[in-house]
Amino acid sequence: MEKLAATSAAGVLLDLSGVVILLLAFACLGSKLFNRYVAYYGAQSVVLSFAAGVAAWTFHSVELWILAGLTLAIKGIGIPVATRRLLLRRLALARDSAISTGLSTSLIIGGALTAFAYLVTRPQLLPHGLVAAAVVPLSTAVILLGALAMVVRRHTVAQLIGWLIVENGVFLGAITLVATFPFIVEAGIFLDIAAGVLIMLVFVSGLTRQLAEASAAELRGLRG
Amino acid sequence: MTALAVLIVAGPLAGPAAAALRARARAAGIASAAGGLVSLAAAITLLAMLAHHTRLSGWAGFLYVDTLSGFFLITVTGVTVLAAFGSVAYLSAEQDAGTLSAFQVRLYFIFFGLFASLMLASLETGNLGLLFVLVEASTLASAALVGLEGKARSLEAAWKYVIISSLGVTIALAGTLFLFYAGSALHLTSNERLTWPYLLAHAAALAPQPLRLAFLLAVVGYGTKVGLAPMHTWLPDAHAEAPSPASAMLSAALLNTGMYAIIRFLAITQARLGAAFPRAVLLTFGFASIVIGVLFMIRRGNFKRLFAYSSVEHMGIIAVALGFGGVLGLYGALLHTLNHAIAKAVLFLGSGDVALRYRTREAAEVRGLLTAIPVTGGALLLGSLAVLGSPPFGLFLSELTIVRAGFARSSPVLPLLLLVLLAVAFIAFARTTAGMVTGQAPKPPDPYPGRGTRWAGAAPLVAGLVMLLVLGLWIPAGLNTAILHSMAVI
Repeated sequence: MEKLAATSAAGVLLDLSGVVILLLAFACLGSKLFNRYVAYYGAQSVVLSFAAGVAAWTFHSVELWILAGLTLAIKGIGIPVATRRLLLRRLALARDSAISTGLSTSLIIGGALTAFAYLVTRPQLLPHGLVAAAVVPLSTAVILLGALAMVVRRHTVAQLIGWLIVENGVFLGAITLVATFPFIVEAGIFLDIAAGVLIMLVFVSGLTRQLAEASAAELRGLRG
Repeated sequence: MTALAVLIVAGPLAGPAAAALRARARAAGIASAAGGLVSLAAAITLLAMLAHHTRLSGWAGFLYVDTLSGFFLITVTGVTVLAAFGSVAYLSAEQDAGTLSAFQVRLYFIFFGLFASLMLASLETGNLGLLFVLVEASTLASAALVGLEGKARSLEAAWKYVIISSLGVTIALAGTLFLFYAGSALHLTSNERLTWPYLLAHAAALAPQPLRLAFLLAVVGYGTKVGLAPMHTWLPDAHAEAPSPASAMLSAALLNTGMYAIIRFLAITQARLGAAFPRAVLLTFGFASIVIGVLFMIRRGNFKRLFAYSSVEHMGIIAVALGFGGVLGLYGALLHTLNHAIAKAVLFLGSGDVALRYRTREAAEVRGLLTAIPVTGGALLLGSLAVLGSPPFGLFLSELTIVRAGFARSSPVLPLLLLVLLAVAFIAFARTTAGMVTGQAPKPPDPYPGRGTRWAGAAPLVAGLVMLLVLGLWIPAGLNTAILHSMAVI
């Protein structure tokens, strides 16, 4: 795989998508309303599919085009719509009040994690031959921010979205590190995510019916 | 041979097929057990054939079975058979008592079969990306089993399980990504760069830094599934809340599948970076798991939770054995995997019988099992002794091998520490189970509809104990060859 110069149009577009994806992860971390989480996640996935499209266009890879399409269809449209329909409307969830740190504290921790991601994946430390070296710290930061969202957010829906953000970070890294896995594997990963979201939505709605509010803060029956 | 490999994966799907045809608990359970037996027979045949051919590979590396996978296939199919018989009894009783609806019973058998089949498939693939896909899919199928009862507690456990494991496996995917990337200098197709035998053959040419990262991420990621501390937090909840035969599958089959994935990464890492780094990683996680497992076993309470923490401890022991390495360490790790799987299946299936009869999972509320229900009580007593490593059961032999492997290294500190921890575990565990089986108690009501289901519940307990006893006294020549061949693969 030839190296993608940061100054080429495709390189700039990939870097830019990475930055937007990171900002959307921050937006998700900093918002309090469920419909915003879902909207930001959807927007992030759309940008991700754009990034996959840029890589596909550069390397003339049919598989990457299909992946870009799948990302748009499943992560950009399918999951946000399903989450809205099944959870937010039917269960009338609106505002996530359960957060273990203050909003601003979690944003500051997020900033520190981003700085940490840059520290450990400085371009000098990275091996040569990357498709787009500048995106690696961005994807690492997105993974860390998703994990942070899962930790500080107590509501199950927020944890679900946090996991999906981690997944997006890994996918962004996959585009830039290796351009593509074999297609069967990528398709399997998409299938897993779709099935995973479905089964998690079933659990969340079950928990909501049983506990009035499916916040993980209430999940304290099992200890020790 | 390819047909055999397909048959192994397809066997457990007999249960879901029966459930889809609206069979009742008993019929669907018998179909699952029959399918499991077909898989077990196919796995044994395949392993016997592999002794001559050394490996089976096809479909561009997506299908790859060597003796190591064959060994794990036999472990998982064996556990599936035991758990399927247990399911016949457990689910019939639950349906009869009205605790589970006919729909829930059908769902149980559908997900039970899918879970077994996906685990077996993940043991048969040489493609590490597909391995991730199948392990994640098996997580989802088993999460459905954990949350099956639909009560707040089981849903809570299922949620914790699915979210922690999914995050963990995603980390393993990142590890797979780095491994893939470590091979970018190789002149292989993108498919071959993810395929285990190619990666092992070209290990010397892999980039060391990404490989180091890949191994660490894979141990953390798949370690979440294995239940290595500190990623084990989902494990006691899921094991305690799942229906007992499903707990047996989680503890005796799923954890081993995760360990299998780690062993595959270990082999490649050792070939490139030497043994020191991966061994240090495995010893750290292994000892952390043993300590955590033992500490939480001291608390008396839910007996399924106790067995679950014992699984954390035993997975730690296997990780430590891999960390000790050498011929003894590897031999001990594989033998211990098989022994622990059988012993834990017996314990969880026995606990299912107790839970059905007494309608409690609290150890303090159960007394005098030996006199009240002699078969289950005896199985729990002997199973506990076996799982704690008492002679003459198999786990004594495998733990002895592991400790010897430790002493074969330079410093005696770690094996001595292991011995101390095993002793504490013995006291903590036996304190609870001894209280459950001894004493006098009235006979509880019989929950099973008919003699056939009662026998189906007792059969796996007796069969498992006999196997443990045999493995403690004598290792069959075929098994010995299989373990030695598996070690040669690594």
